[in-house]
Amino acid sequence: MTVRDVERALRTALSRGGDFAELFWERHETLQLVLDDQRIEDAITGVDQGAGVRVVHGERTVYANGNVTDVDDVMAIAGRAARSVADESGLHEAARLTPDELPLPHSVAIDPRSVPVERKVALLRLANDAARAHGRVSQATVSYAESVQEILVANSDGIHRTDTRVRVNFAVQVVAKDGAVLESGFEAVRGTRGFEMLTEDAVREAAETAARRAVLNVGAQPAPAGTYTVVLSSEAGGTLIHESVGHGLEADLNLKGLSVYSGRIGEKVASELITVIDDGRDPGQRGTAAMDDEATPTQRTVLIEKGILKTYLSDRKHAEKLGIKRSGNARRESFRHLPICRMTNTMIASGESDPEEIVRSVKDGIFVKKMGGGQVDVVSGNFAFEVTECYRIRDGKIAEPLRGATLVGQGPKLMSEIDMVGWDLGYSTGTCGKDGQGAPVADAQPTLRIPSVVIGGKVS
Amino acid sequence: MTTSLSNDEVVDRALEALRAGRVGTAEVFVRDALSGSVETKDGELEVVTARGERGLGVRVLDGQRIGFAHTSDLAHSGIEACVDQARRMATITEPDDDIRIAGTSIDLVDLDIFQPGLEERPLADRGAIALAVERAARSVDPRITHFRKTSYSDAEVTTVIATTLGVRASYRESFCGAMTSAVATQNGERQIGYHGEGARRIAELDPDSVGARAAQRAIEKLGAKPFPTQKIPVVLDPWMAMSLLGAISPLFSADNVLKGRSLFAGKVSERVANERVTIVDDARRKGGLRSAPFDGEGVTTTTRILVERGVLRGYLVNLKTARKTNGPPTGNARRGSYASPSRIGPSNFYIEAGRDDPEALVRGLDRSLAVTSLLNLHTIDPVSGEFSLGATGTYLERGAPIYPVQGITIAGNLTHLLSSISGVGTDLTFGASGIGSPTLVIAELSVGGT
Repeated sequence: MTVRDVERALRTALSRGGDFAELFWERHETLQLVLDDQRIEDAITGVDQGAGVRVVHGERTVYANGNVTDVDDVMAIAGRAARSVADESGLHEAARLTPDELPLPHSVAIDPRSVPVERKVALLRLANDAARAHGRVSQATVSYAESVQEILVANSDGIHRTDTRVRVNFAVQVVAKDGAVLESGFEAVRGTRGFEMLTEDAVREAAETAARRAVLNVGAQPAPAGTYTVVLSSEAGGTLIHESVGHGLEADLNLKGLSVYSGRIGEKVASELITVIDDGRDPGQRGTAAMDDEATPTQRTVLIEKGILKTYLSDRKHAEKLGIKRSGNARRESFRHLPICRMTNTMIASGESDPEEIVRSVKDGIFVKKMGGGQVDVVSGNFAFEVTECYRIRDGKIAEPLRGATLVGQGPKLMSEIDMVGWDLGYSTGTCGKDGQGAPVADAQPTLRIPSVVIGGKVS
Repeated sequence: MTTSLSNDEVVDRALEALRAGRVGTAEVFVRDALSGSVETKDGELEVVTARGERGLGVRVLDGQRIGFAHTSDLAHSGIEACVDQARRMATITEPDDDIRIAGTSIDLVDLDIFQPGLEERPLADRGAIALAVERAARSVDPRITHFRKTSYSDAEVTTVIATTLGVRASYRESFCGAMTSAVATQNGERQIGYHGEGARRIAELDPDSVGARAAQRAIEKLGAKPFPTQKIPVVLDPWMAMSLLGAISPLFSADNVLKGRSLFAGKVSERVANERVTIVDDARRKGGLRSAPFDGEGVTTTTRILVERGVLRGYLVNLKTARKTNGPPTGNARRGSYASPSRIGPSNFYIEAGRDDPEALVRGLDRSLAVTSLLNLHTIDPVSGEFSLGATGTYLERGAPIYPVQGITIAGNLTHLLSSISGVGTDLTFGASGIGSPTLVIAELSVGGT
């Protein structure tokens, strides 16, 4: 689409009234290869292309969208959005557009589309062989996905901004078997990076980690249910911060007064050992981009500083209503959706304790080495997350492995109880789900000690 | 505006491109959908969305290698490019002698899944349904003070499939759904309750019941306390039971069975559940939310008993796994979108109604825990069958609520859960995902707490 076409679409969108109009255009090219049960089973490619036009008038937002490829069809979508608006208060003009593009916080060295498919297939085989080299491994699924998303965001304030997000995702899922017991292990290498991220070493390590985890769990005892002292390793990743705090700091929930953090800016909401940051510019991380999906530049936002709540994660609408600065956290899964406030790369900043000393300090507890997925009820603050690798701590030493554990708690309560924060930092990656939309994210944390928290497992 | 091809013309053009490229066997799939939704806030419409989507997916089988490509560019050049890409993908995969493209004509029946004109209804009609949901929730109890989100949405969808082996068929379907998350407030405490329902026709959707149930779900959690760690009988109402049943369905996938990823492998004719339990997958249920005359591979769908009074009778099968297991395909290749190939999955998947009055079942238990919400369902590992979930609940004595609890976990194994079902209610209910269940009593589960 030419700049003139975009201006015409915005004018059409505002032709029946409205205060603000925006066009989101997207072309998303993907390739997915799956090796399962020793065979390359799937090779899937396609282009998902479309546009969405938003018109805001007063308190109402109209959004029309479709998977169209043709400029005329984009105009039709703009017309469709306009038809749902009937504003007698007069028409707003769309400002002239000035095209620009923001710099990425990192460079993409190798466009995955330029890499021969044989190379990708070879990596799948390498991972498959590495996983199957472990005894008791009975099955492995290895997948490679590349994704190049080009977007254009233009609005009636005169913004016309483009961005390209190149992502790779290499995932390994392994099944280990012992008698009638089956367990699975998972590990992935993924980020907003080019093919350079997928070195043979990185891929082999992911496969070995997934296999080791499956084999470990198949021989592990069921985790006990009850209340325990827990050490979360930095290697465990950041599901805890994502679920227990992150979602509660999204501005949409706070505007409605629904979050446990609503109206608490400036107040103490966590232990003074806790600083929480969302950084959409963390180089190469899975949640990184040059701008958000409303064309606001991404940034590093300190959300909680030494226990004090500083601000929320905002989009355009909620920043304005709450009177806070836009933080570049408006994200959408595709042109099919309106942007919503959500996290990018979220972390608890490193502290001052020696991680080994944290483990040594616990007489009887649980050491969580890897977390899986999680969920939070933001209204009550109750959260749960899956533990995919954990061990008993006995007399300050890591002891036998345990399986099938989950960890539950209430966000603000847990954050005020954390009493040791390590000097290390470890990342994990995932896909966050909110309001039916998925978004690639990363989370990070140092080693943490929680004096008392409920572990879900088996009652003996 | 450029004149666009009709759905049938898109299919014809794709078949021509396949013939011109001398592709032996292939499948062409078109989906065309119009949808709309509204969200409300404080008695007003806040967001109005309209969507049009149409796309093509092509699956090429060349030398027993399968390749898949999709596009939304339905001009001649876009269709040809998609066919070329699918052929290219088929050079990457490895041959499997059991892969088949459908060649048997489809038995088309009217499953009562389409209400015409859903997308032509005025915006105000859609808004009225969402607003009625909010009103119903507020009228339950003055402690319902906020809503996280209330929405109504609907869609009209056309699906067309054709194969080079002569299969060609299409069907139309409609959906409408309403949901809300109501928030109850009392003495500074806030609790949320979610409920959503779906239907094929507007008249079958009851906004009052959606609002009222969400409100009750929020109110019943107010005053929630911690709960001691223990083993205790657990009551799952139909909505809670459905969410766990959804996690059980991958165990029935023939693909998982053949690849050693299902605890049901090798268990046909063996007992896998309590004798009170019969599980059915019925793609031909009239008006069912996952009913369809044919599946994502163009195979006629079926009605099947998967577990009969506790005994495993069979798996969910597509064309490839039917060959591998020497059985007939069951029409369980589910297709989420034109842009993804089909995967084995259930249709309308449910536990049959039992003989017990649900209230009498619960009254018969001295102490029990009725689960009122579950967190982290998406993390259940169908391979190990293990689950360990965050939960809220109500502690009951002889069926009478004593106090609500929160900050607990329930844990176990899905296979153990099925064999521990000690009560099945008469109240079979279907949810918005097409899964159905009556009230279930689990004889004993591990509950983690203080």
